[in-house]
Amino acid sequence: MLKHSFIDTLATSLRIEVISATLRERVRATPFSVFRAVFGLLMAFGAVRFMWLGWIEDHYLAPQFHFNYWGFEWVKPLPAIFMYGVHYLMIASAVGVMVGTKWVYRASAITLFLTFTYTELIDLTYYLNHYYFVSIVCALLCIIPSPPAIWDKQATIPHWVVVIFKLQIAIVYIYAGLAKINYDWLVEALPLKIWLPAHDHLPIIGPLFTWTITPYLFSWFGMLYDCLIVFFLLNTRTRLAAYLTVIIFHSLTGVLFQIGIFPLVMIGCTLIFFDFGRGKPAEPSPLRPLTPKVSLRALVLVAHFAFQLLFPWRFLLYPGNVFWTEQGYRYGWRVMLMEKAGTAIFYVKDSKSGREGVVDNSEFLNPHQEKQMAMQPDMILQFAHFLGNHYAKIGLDNPQVRAEVYVTLNARPSRLLIDPNVNLMKERDTFAPKTWILPN
Amino acid sequence: MNRTLILITLLGLGLLTGMVSCNESETPTESGFNRGEMLTNVVQKLIIPAFTDLGTHVAALSQRAEAFTQSPTPTTLSSLQEAWSTAYTSWQFANSFNFGPAGEQGVRRGLNEEIGTFPISIAKVENAVSGTPNFNDFNRDARGFLAVEYLIFGMGKTPTELVDEFSTQKRKDFLLGAISDIDRRVNEVLSAWNGGYSTTFVQNVGTDVGSSTSMLYNEFVKSFEAIKNFKLGLPLGRRPGQTQAEPQLVEAYYSGKSLEMLEANLVAVENIWFGRSREGQDGAGFREYLQSVEGGQALIAATEAQMTAVKSALAAVPKTSTLAEQIQQAPQPADKLHTELQKHTRFYKSDMSSILGISITFSSGDGD
Repeated sequence: MLKHSFIDTLATSLRIEVISATLRERVRATPFSVFRAVFGLLMAFGAVRFMWLGWIEDHYLAPQFHFNYWGFEWVKPLPAIFMYGVHYLMIASAVGVMVGTKWVYRASAITLFLTFTYTELIDLTYYLNHYYFVSIVCALLCIIPSPPAIWDKQATIPHWVVVIFKLQIAIVYIYAGLAKINYDWLVEALPLKIWLPAHDHLPIIGPLFTWTITPYLFSWFGMLYDCLIVFFLLNTRTRLAAYLTVIIFHSLTGVLFQIGIFPLVMIGCTLIFFDFGRGKPAEPSPLRPLTPKVSLRALVLVAHFAFQLLFPWRFLLYPGNVFWTEQGYRYGWRVMLMEKAGTAIFYVKDSKSGREGVVDNSEFLNPHQEKQMAMQPDMILQFAHFLGNHYAKIGLDNPQVRAEVYVTLNARPSRLLIDPNVNLMKERDTFAPKTWILPN
Repeated sequence: MNRTLILITLLGLGLLTGMVSCNESETPTESGFNRGEMLTNVVQKLIIPAFTDLGTHVAALSQRAEAFTQSPTPTTLSSLQEAWSTAYTSWQFANSFNFGPAGEQGVRRGLNEEIGTFPISIAKVENAVSGTPNFNDFNRDARGFLAVEYLIFGMGKTPTELVDEFSTQKRKDFLLGAISDIDRRVNEVLSAWNGGYSTTFVQNVGTDVGSSTSMLYNEFVKSFEAIKNFKLGLPLGRRPGQTQAEPQLVEAYYSGKSLEMLEANLVAVENIWFGRSREGQDGAGFREYLQSVEGGQALIAATEAQMTAVKSALAAVPKTSTLAEQIQQAPQPADKLHTELQKHTRFYKSDMSSILGISITFSSGDGD
């Protein structure tokens, strides 16, 4: 009895009924229409740009070895013609997401999600939080009911459709902000102390970057911006000013960092916070009854957001500094947070003859792959296994692979990242802490 | 409370903390480093002199080759060999500048590969000698300085035997053709630097990929790594899969001048670090740049300590026998040099670009 009433009270105090009703209320479709139009356009543009820059060759076709995503080792690049096909399909589906309705929209959304996510999963080297964000948005676009035509200004959609995108954006920003609350970022103004002077040649703002105070201001502003911007976007009175801040902030990151079209993506996506219209929608339709399909969808969304909220904290379960070990670093909205680089020298030993050779990484990896690998333990492990298998194939007896990896983090003198005496062929990549990573 | 007010308050707080954290607020710091000045120094004191010098010595090589082919005698051969050594030493001071006019362009690879590929393929060279030589095909291991070296130094041949080899017109033609190919390529690069490219280079003061600083840095690192990997590592048999030393893979194998060239290459790399001309005149280089940034002093100290270790390892390599002979008979000193170079790699390869904020790839990762 007591238990029952407790749950009742909890339900009442959480106002689940009310929340559910509010979420199912129908609202003006324009914010979402603008959102999907801009998102689809940018996705199409992004895919065209990717091909134009010759990155299909550079990223997917030229490398003889690809770093896998954990659990997605089965994702492999396709021959050139199919890789181009995938990109053309991505462009077409992006256009479909932009302007399509009914089955065209649905098919486009699913295709966009699959093609984009496929290309991202080919090589871990190119992982960026932004790509992960785009994949999530694509997935969310698949789950929503088919939207009305984008030019229909009177149309309505369920409130939750808008809410899930706002919530996802909120998580990205707030988690990115929380990640900035650390000693190096706030007290040492690192890595901005490194990055800003490297851009002191920029017109107008460049000279500011040589001032001692500038990295501190940027660090603090960046942290506060990320933590708070969503709240200012939610509030009608501050929305316009907040959006101007969004434009300025992302334009700056676009100038400073080589992150492609992502500043544009964020500037575009945050448009969803605007109403684009006045007053209530023309015909507030009555709430539709809950069907199993709706409930299932709700369940999937709740599970998704629970994952989104919890997964980034997994780093707390690992010993050591997450910036150093990178255990639990990814998928946590840690965006442009540190300056890290390493030199990894691999030694392969023939177990029978005892002869040990030194690998020239550039024989197997492109500069981008080598750079990313040389500071991330799981990638070092993958490459070690590749080397072991490769040399076993060309005749070495049960090759042992060890690596001497020196990493510099935020301008500190470089130190050994992993135990240089461990035979990496004996280690496996799991969620368990990697004992061969040396403390920072 | 008004949310704008909260924002302003928080921003103010942030500002305040920022000001408190640093003592010399608002005044520009000493850290403003003028990359343009560094680039100008490198162009004026290192790059242009290096290619000018190389051009002069390749022209001399060409003249001696003319003289030799007109009257092949042990004397003209010896003077030709001497000219080759001088020209190839000059090349050691230019091989780090493998970008811009010396960089890849279409099917043409960087100057380094076009005129400095080693080991050469004797079979391909002999084939070209007896056939129709083409200095623009993909057989980069059948042209350049080291193909010329093979022709004029041979392998274990006496001067008279070598001279006798040049009794055929085809061999003479190939020699002259190979040298004139080097000459043409070097002069192309030199005239580009003497023309508009210097200005382009000096004005491109950014740190992104394709910026002058990034290109200079990348090729500087590559030149250093080539010494370690190809001039020492491979001949020493230090590559996995190698079952023994392969001394014939050293640079300048036929002349036996490997050590001399390696030493020159190391000096050239060090000169870029210091911003120092070949004559020893010091200017702005990467070292000065590092002095201006966070963590720079510590890196300079660590790098220069290791430089000293490299130098003493080099000094410990006996000069009485060739590198190839040593690798065959007593590889320990050369092996030690390889190890010291290995230890040096991280300072140049990742520490420097990281603290200077130089981009070496087209898109950055989150962990940059």
